[in-house]
This record gives sequence, structure tokens and C-alpha cells, in this order.
Amino acid sequence: MQLFIEIYGFLNVTLRGFILTAQSLTLGGLAFLLLPAVAEARLGETARRRAERLIFWSALALCAGEALAAAALGFMLSGTLGLPAGELLGAEAVKIDLLASVLAGAVAFFISSRRDALPAAGLAGLFLLATQIGATHAASRLDHVAGLYVAEFAHMLGVAIWIGGIPYFLIALGAAQTGSRRYVAARFSMISAAGVAMLLGAGVYMAADYLGEPEALYGASYGVMLTAKAGLLLGLLLLGGMNFLTGRELRTDPRGSVSRLRRFAEVEIGVGLTALFCAASLTSLPPARDLPNDRASWNEVVERVEPRWPIRLESPDHASLSTSQPRMIDPGAPRAYAMGETAAPPRNAEDIAWSEYNHHWAGIFVLLMGLLALAEHDRRLAPIAKHWPLTFLGLAGFLFLRADEEVWPLGHLGLIESLRDPEIAQHRLMIVLIILFGLFEWRVRLGKLKAAWAPYVFPVTTAVAAAFLLTHSHGLANPKEEMLIEITHTPLALVGVAAGWARWLELRLDDGPARRIASLVWPVAFILAGLLLMFYREA
Amino acid sequence: MTMPRSYLYFLAVPLVFVADAAFAHAIVVASTPLPNETIAASETEVEVRFNSRVDRARSRLTLVGPGGASVVLPLADGAAETLKSRASGLEDGRYRILWQTLSVDGHITHGEISFQVKR
Ligand SMILES: [Cu+2]
Repeated sequence: MQLFIEIYGFLNVTLRGFILTAQSLTLGGLAFLLLPAVAEARLGETARRRAERLIFWSALALCAGEALAAAALGFMLSGTLGLPAGELLGAEAVKIDLLASVLAGAVAFFISSRRDALPAAGLAGLFLLATQIGATHAASRLDHVAGLYVAEFAHMLGVAIWIGGIPYFLIALGAAQTGSRRYVAARFSMISAAGVAMLLGAGVYMAADYLGEPEALYGASYGVMLTAKAGLLLGLLLLGGMNFLTGRELRTDPRGSVSRLRRFAEVEIGVGLTALFCAASLTSLPPARDLPNDRASWNEVVERVEPRWPIRLESPDHASLSTSQPRMIDPGAPRAYAMGETAAPPRNAEDIAWSEYNHHWAGIFVLLMGLLALAEHDRRLAPIAKHWPLTFLGLAGFLFLRADEEVWPLGHLGLIESLRDPEIAQHRLMIVLIILFGLFEWRVRLGKLKAAWAPYVFPVTTAVAAAFLLTHSHGLANPKEEMLIEITHTPLALVGVAAGWARWLELRLDDGPARRIASLVWPVAFILAGLLLMFYREA
Repeated sequence: MTMPRSYLYFLAVPLVFVADAAFAHAIVVASTPLPNETIAASETEVEVRFNSRVDRARSRLTLVGPGGASVVLPLADGAAETLKSRASGLEDGRYRILWQTLSVDGHITHGEISFQVKR
């Protein structure tokens, strides 16, 4: 139970992200089939059946996800309060999850039954969305409730129509005859523009309400996450815009290549998913307006992120770290904790220096990786540069020594003994993964691994890892310090998303200017990540 | 635990993660008694006000006395964003009010408010 309480926060954010994804796919598909903008006649029987199947499976996934969310919350309540089962079912949030689960089941049922049940499925989908608002911030607010309800509804519907609609667009595009592709592209442009407009309008309204004042955009965790989401949105709009242009080209030349359209759409799905998980993380944060006293000022933010030379390449003495010191009790306890969160152990100046040193060296490895990957473009340097994945081994070795200061060879804990601590065990497992990952990509670069899927491991891993960096759940004990850490890690995550998807594009696109740009973007993104780590500061 | 070093691994960590802090929503906006307040009576009103509406049936106030013994306080009716009760029979010493709450949107948070009784 204790373990469940500890991981509940993370579990919940991940589950919410999963639910938002399944929900967007379900509703996006329904919108795609139901909105008059998609000409019925032009969507062939094959495409239609495929779309229906995707809606069915997403609705089923949503049904399961909501049931799981209800069970997790119930389990949590019974574990921490010892309430009987009947009492748990009365919780507003449990009821909402269960109702949403039932409605998702209804969508799945209608879509798999007779074709004329499609409008019924659409109606169930709308009810589902309305129910879902109960699990957002809007439900527990004390004022502007009605406006926030409408805004949350429009926001989620906009996301579903746009991002959730892309896979259906790909299905339609794949099944369409050469001549009707431009119709498909043009129609989807129209619906997605409507989705974007809804999403933006509602988003701005909610941001204004939840933030309270513009300073919260950089001064509070909620604002920083929101800024990150806006960054992802900007990337999505860029991709959408390029697709719009490609779609227009198709109009003049119906035989033109649709492959670029497809590749950009794939990336839109990936970045869209990241944004959804980012949104899930956002629901785990109290709105910035409620934490007016725990803000960082502009000066504090600048102080923290401004690159400063020299970087820290000399480690503080291990004996000076607080793991080597007797523990003291902190007299000023914070006002609230997130579930599972406990008071942070004390940190002294040497602890901070230790961590900065770790980040700075890791940054050098990442920078080197980016530079080598860039050098691979030069024919003379390529024979050496193509071995860049081996820098992962250096990084892993470094982390092995430094990541857990209380463990052998530097600390007092033995290697085997330390694995009993779940956090240390996780770190060790990650180090193993980093080594495997580096060796794997190395063999891919050398052409020794020929499986068609092998090259995609690198971009997908990078993109997913970066998404996780955005999705982590938040503590409450020290909101300001947490925010200052976030403001240094969020750009890192965004750069990681860009790196992952640019590499994906390089692999997927046909030769041309777009592919060449993508092939430069990802090494540059790695270089940026390296620099961000190198200039990372913790105080 | 939110330790920055956990993020070092971001380049190769899709499947494993650090079980970071947790979920959060309801935070304390005001309270009676105030944190670290000194009370000169054997009885006090207890009221914790949150930033969001809370599910009272699924929330709890617990009073922990100087000796470490704890008692769950019965909740009185009140505004949708507060937990309200009374603590009586207080003796000299340090007390803690542990609160746990479920906000209406489904987020659990907890914390404590410590105060002193001195007559
Ligand atoms: Cu909330």
C-alpha cells in the first residue's frame, strides 16, 4: 500500500494522459465521420470500416482507462482513510470516472452495431465529454464555474477534432483515389482549422482565469507548464501550416506526392500526444492564481537560467555532502503536500554543487554527441563521427559513479545492498538501459542491424523520454523551488521533443529540402540540450 | 522525491521513471489555528480553508496530541471549501492537525498544521 501511495501521483498523471489520448481518438473519429465537412461519398467503404474500427478500440481503451482511474482513486481513499467500499462509490470523482467509463462503453457498442447508430454514438460522445469536465479543475473551482465548464468542453472538443482527427485523416488519405486526395486534404484542413480555433479561444480564456496574472507564466509551475504546452502548440501549428501548403499544391497537381503530407501528420500525432500528456500533468497542479505567495520573480528566474561561465567541472568533496552529515530537522514545515510526497531531505551548498557538477558533465557528453552527429554530415569526418552513439557509454559510466552519492564506489552503501532502495535501483536500471540504447544505435549506424524498425528506436525513445520529462507529477511542499527547477528542465524537454521528431522526419521523408532540414535540426537540438545542461544551475 | 538529478537521464529513459512526488490540487488558503499559533485555552475551533471545493465525506481532520495519541475530529457542516471542527480538552503542549482532503475533481492532498497550547 505504501508503495501504491508513493507512485499514485505518477500513475495518475500517466493514466490521465492515456485517458485524454483515448478520448481524443474516440471523439476525433466521431467528428470525422459525422461532420458534414467530410463528404460522405468520398470516404470509401474500406476507409470507413477502418475508421470505425479505430473508434471502437479507442472507446474500449477509454472505457478501461476510466474504470482503472475510478479503481485507483477508490483504492487510494480506502488505503489512506480506511473507508468502506460503499462510501468510496459516493465520491464525486469516482462517480464521474465510472459514468465516463459507461459512456465510452456505449460509444463502442453503438459504433460496432448498425451503421445508423452513428448519430447515437456521437451523442454518447458528447455526453462523455460533458461528464469528463467533472475531472478537470473547472469542477472544483469556487467561482466562474460556468464559464470554465464551457471553456474546458470547447478546449477538449477542439483537441479531439484536430489532433484526434489526424489518424482518421491518414486513413482517408491512404484509401482515397489519386483524384479525391485533394478533397480529403482540403476538408480536413477545414475541420482542423475549426478545432484549432476552438482550442485556442477556450485555452486563452482558461489561461487567463487559472493564471490570475501574466507574471505567473514564468513565476509559477502552472504557468511554466502552460508555456511548454504553448510551445508544443506552436510546433503543431507550424506542422499543420506546412500540411496546409502541401494540400494546396495537391489541388494544382492531384498526382503530387502525398508522402510529405503523411510524414508531417505522423509527427503531428506524436507532438499532439506529448501535448496531451503535458495537459494531464497540468491538471495535477493547483492553478497559479491560488499560490500568489510562492512565485518566483523575473529576477530570480533570470538569475537561475542565465548562462554563466565557468561551468562546474570540479566536484565538491564527498565528505561534505549532507548524506555524510548528521540529519537535522527542518523547523519551517510547508503548508501542504501532494499525496505520497514527504518532506525533502535537507540540502546544503555542497549537495547543490554536486548536482550541478553532474549536470554540467552530462551536458558535455550530450554536447559532444550533438557535435559528432552534426559532423557526420561532412564526408571526411563521417568515418569517426558515425560512432557518436558510443558517447552514451561515457554518459552511463559517469552516471554510474555519480548519480547516487550514497552508493559504492563513493558512498557507504554496497552495490547489492543499495538495490533495495527503489530509487537507486531505478537509477541503476536506467544506466543499464542507457548502455543498451547506446550500443543498439551504434550498431544501427554501422549498418549491422538491418531490421526495418531498428532506426526508429532512437527517435521514438528520445521523444518519449522528453515527453516524460514534461509529464512528471508535481510536489507541493516547496512550489517556488520546484518551479525554478522546472524552468530549467522544461526547455530541455522541448528540445528533446524536437530532436526526436526531427530524426523521425529524416528517416521517413523522401529526399528533398525538408529531409535535409530535419537531418540538421536534431543534432542542433542535441547541442542545445547539452548547452542547457552545461549551464544548469540549482541555486 | 523531486530531485533534479533524476532528470539527468532524460535522454534514455522512456520506460523507467522516478516515482516523483505526486498529485496535487487542494492547497490550504487559510486556517484556524494558524500554523505555530499559541492558544491559551482548553478548546479551539479548527477550520482549514482550501482553494477548491472538497468532498467532505472523503476528507479528514486528525488531532495529534503532545503524547502522540491521535483522534479523528468529527466534521461540522460549513462552506464547500472548508473542513470545520472543534478540538476540546486540550492540555499544555504541542499539537498537530493532520488534514487529508479529496477535492471535487478527484485529487487527494494532505498536510499538517502545528500549534501550541499554553495556559
Ligand atoms: Cu485539480
